[in-house]
Amino acid sequence: MVRRKPVNLPPISYMKTYMKAKMYTVLCSAAMKECDNLKIDESEIGCDYSKTLVDICRERQFQAFVCDALAVPVRSGSCDACISIAVIHHFATAERRVAALQEIVRLLRPGGKALIYVWAMEQEHNNQKSKYLKENRISQEQKEEIKNDKSTPGLVEQKSDTGSQNSASSVPSIDDIQEKESSSKPITNSELPIHINRTSFHSQDVLVPWHLKTKTGKDKPVEPFGSAGARDQSPVFHRYYHVFCDGELEAACQTLSNVSVLQSYHDQGNWCVILQKV
Amino acid sequence: MKLLTHNLLSSHVRGVGPRGFPLRLQATEVRVNPVEFNPDFVARMIPKVEWAALLEAADTLNLAEVPREPTEGYEHDEDFLRKMHHVLLEVEVLEGTLQCPESGRLFPISRGIPNMLLNDEETET
Repeated sequence: MVRRKPVNLPPISYMKTYMKAKMYTVLCSAAMKECDNLKIDESEIGCDYSKTLVDICRERQFQAFVCDALAVPVRSGSCDACISIAVIHHFATAERRVAALQEIVRLLRPGGKALIYVWAMEQEHNNQKSKYLKENRISQEQKEEIKNDKSTPGLVEQKSDTGSQNSASSVPSIDDIQEKESSSKPITNSELPIHINRTSFHSQDVLVPWHLKTKTGKDKPVEPFGSAGARDQSPVFHRYYHVFCDGELEAACQTLSNVSVLQSYHDQGNWCVILQKV
Repeated sequence: MKLLTHNLLSSHVRGVGPRGFPLRLQATEVRVNPVEFNPDFVARMIPKVEWAALLEAADTLNLAEVPREPTEGYEHDEDFLRKMHHVLLEVEVLEGTLQCPESGRLFPISRGIPNMLLNDEETET
């Protein structure tokens, strides 16, 4: 297993340094809004499944388009570098996750490199908790309330900071949302556990609740979470994640014959790989 | 969508493969935005450009003064580089369509964003 952290460089900076050395066309999948400071020049083009996220890219003067990561509408071998951050962990099967990697590799020219980040099951690494765990604002008391409150499984008024601050590509209709909020039944027929934000993962396949923060007017006080009778007014999306185990991303890359894994490491609750197309 | 972007885009309709490039451009709204000229950048992009696709798109947009091919020693030819800079980076299609040359499938461009999503039946397995 190749395990070498870039020396003194956070990984995205590493990719940027690499890119400055030559002329590159870069495809950034998802989390483009997190790459605000990363744009070097006009050769960077982004894409995402979410129209809304792509709109944000456009507002920030990036070239971007909407597409499926399993069917990227870009000619093969045309990219010098690709970045895929917080994308592949949304695919529900191992086959689809490998297919997403294959697409990235298809886009690369021989010798091109890709940087891939996925959420890690292990949020603690080398006895260090990730930022995601550390920013747990919930008190122990409230944790107990969540466990006992069967009507709102896993509902937590917190945001995930792994680039999930975008609306889901399939937004439930208003009717759906209202139906969910008025139901007092827990989701019993779902086989996927609903994750409690800012806590460790107990399963690799989870639904992570994501609160769409709605703008509340002055006449609508925000009720403190957990107080009796209070019910959160903002819609909650349960987003599917397959969080990766140690070595899993690297192993997935190794199944591809034209790939060499250059680096493999843990970064703030993410498993990361830098690969090269041979 | 700038023409540099168009030069990369290819149809992913099932069965189409490399015949999905280049996408036929049709524009109903185009905008020209000045972009800072960086001759090194443009020079480095030249070898990556698929020329036939670029010329086809530029002709569709009725762009004037589009070099038909790289000149000898283009890296130091400022006139050439400035023209290429303009074609690749300063012309933006805001509204229009991209058409798969093989299947005829249309992809919309809206607010400068091409939407390349396919239906399930259309994607490659």
